[in-house]
Amino acid sequence: MPAKLVVDRLSHHYPDEYTGEDVHALDQVSLSVEDGEFSAVVGPSGCGKTTLLNILAGLLPHTEGSVQVDGKEVQGPGPDRGVVFQEHAILPWRTVARNIGHGLEIQGIPKSEREQKVQEFIDLVGLSGFEERYPHELSGGMKQRCALARTLCANPVVMLMDEPFAAVDAQTRITLQEELNRIAIATRKTILFITHNVDEAAFLGDRCFIFSRRPGKLKATVKIDVPREKRIWKDLLSEKAYTDPRDEILRLVREEVFDDEE
Amino acid sequence: MTRSSEAAPVRKPQSRQWRRFVRGGGVELVLLILGILFLWSVISQNIPNPSRYLPSPVSVVLSSYDVIWKGLLPNYIGQTLWRLVIGSVIGLLLGIPFGIALGLNRTVSDMFYPIMNFFQSISGIAILPIIVVWWGNSEKTVFVVILYTCFFPIAFNVLTGVRSTPMILVNALRTLGASRIRIVKDVLIPSAMPHIATGARLGIGYAWRAVIAGEMLAGRRGLGWMIFTAQDADLTAQVILGMVMIGVIWIMIDRFALRPIEADTIQRWGLVQR
Repeated sequence: MPAKLVVDRLSHHYPDEYTGEDVHALDQVSLSVEDGEFSAVVGPSGCGKTTLLNILAGLLPHTEGSVQVDGKEVQGPGPDRGVVFQEHAILPWRTVARNIGHGLEIQGIPKSEREQKVQEFIDLVGLSGFEERYPHELSGGMKQRCALARTLCANPVVMLMDEPFAAVDAQTRITLQEELNRIAIATRKTILFITHNVDEAAFLGDRCFIFSRRPGKLKATVKIDVPREKRIWKDLLSEKAYTDPRDEILRLVREEVFDDEE
Repeated sequence: MTRSSEAAPVRKPQSRQWRRFVRGGGVELVLLILGILFLWSVISQNIPNPSRYLPSPVSVVLSSYDVIWKGLLPNYIGQTLWRLVIGSVIGLLLGIPFGIALGLNRTVSDMFYPIMNFFQSISGIAILPIIVVWWGNSEKTVFVVILYTCFFPIAFNVLTGVRSTPMILVNALRTLGASRIRIVKDVLIPSAMPHIATGARLGIGYAWRAVIAGEMLAGRRGLGWMIFTAQDADLTAQVILGMVMIGVIWIMIDRFALRPIEADTIQRWGLVQR
């Protein structure tokens, strides 16, 4: 089975917005994500994680190297790659239901079919009863559930997530992580999840890609061999299959952070 | 027994509207207006020749008896409002699409931004003389001035609204596979709505001033014309009546036409807090 997402020797430079200096954001990054795999990208801030995501999403053109989804070279944004952004990316003037159905609306799916699908995903992310609410009436966590459902509902081949839980409070974040795990089991989506939070990366990822600081290089890959069904915070904290790779990832990331401070 | 209980005074429950009026400072407002009218009367009584310099509120109403009861005032108001409505509707129909079109392209909008700002600052009254040179004292001149006056604030605000759309919303739609037209329709226009509403309110507000000025110089009938001709005829009471009407009518337009539009859309989306 070929990988769903293949990044091959991807490099990226851009001129700094203020100084005009050349910024080397990504350096010869190669990685692949298998069908149904949950991968996490973790690294210190400024390591080019978001640049990588923007290139994968097609929002940023890449000049060196290649990015393929389902064997096709990425050229611009497309519905084969769904993105869940950090925050504030759902439309304030659309209700929850209309936000979630937006992808299908764009794809030209007839209304009756759309409504059925939308309800399915509203139930999946636990937003039943909030269909007709506007985003400003929702909590931060609920907004992100809505954003997640919108992306899932459009049925992308690969789902890209850019620190989606970074802006919610710690308690909500834990709940959302467990929910996302449940959704990953239910939908078997291929996911690339970007975060700077080591615990989050190890909790969610089948594999973690650790990035060095700028220019972002793939520094190491760590596998986390915990079955999805067993990924519940209260059980996992004493599970060696989780803590060992988590500590390994933490060590690798810390090297990058402390290098920077010296 | 039953009779007496029927006759007992029943305390009328205060209506919701009354309570809202009180809580919103309505009583204070009425007192303030009465205070101003009182002060005005006092001044008017203590100056020489008040009917020429400052007729009292009562004599404004009394000496305008003719204008009010012969149907001239409603006629003038109708004329002025008609000009305002036609001018602003055309201004909105041209200004909104123009602002959006400019906002779509960063380079184009950067280029036009200072130009729009420039014209926005030249009031309709300031261009009136040159319009009169071109088209004389005609109805056309009045319309052109109204149109000019509301077009620029509307277009400028719409442009600002489109430019200030959060990039993340546009990107989110792009990753859902949205076309350019859909991004305009689903993101840029709704996102610019608060600015469109502001632009409309500002533009129509400026147009209201412009129509009065235009009527003074170039119009026939209308409130501005009434004030101007009344001054010529030494009818100060009528001049004041016209001024008061201009203010009162604007407050009603704003309260009953412009604000509800804003409230209907924008507040529901949580884009402005009140």
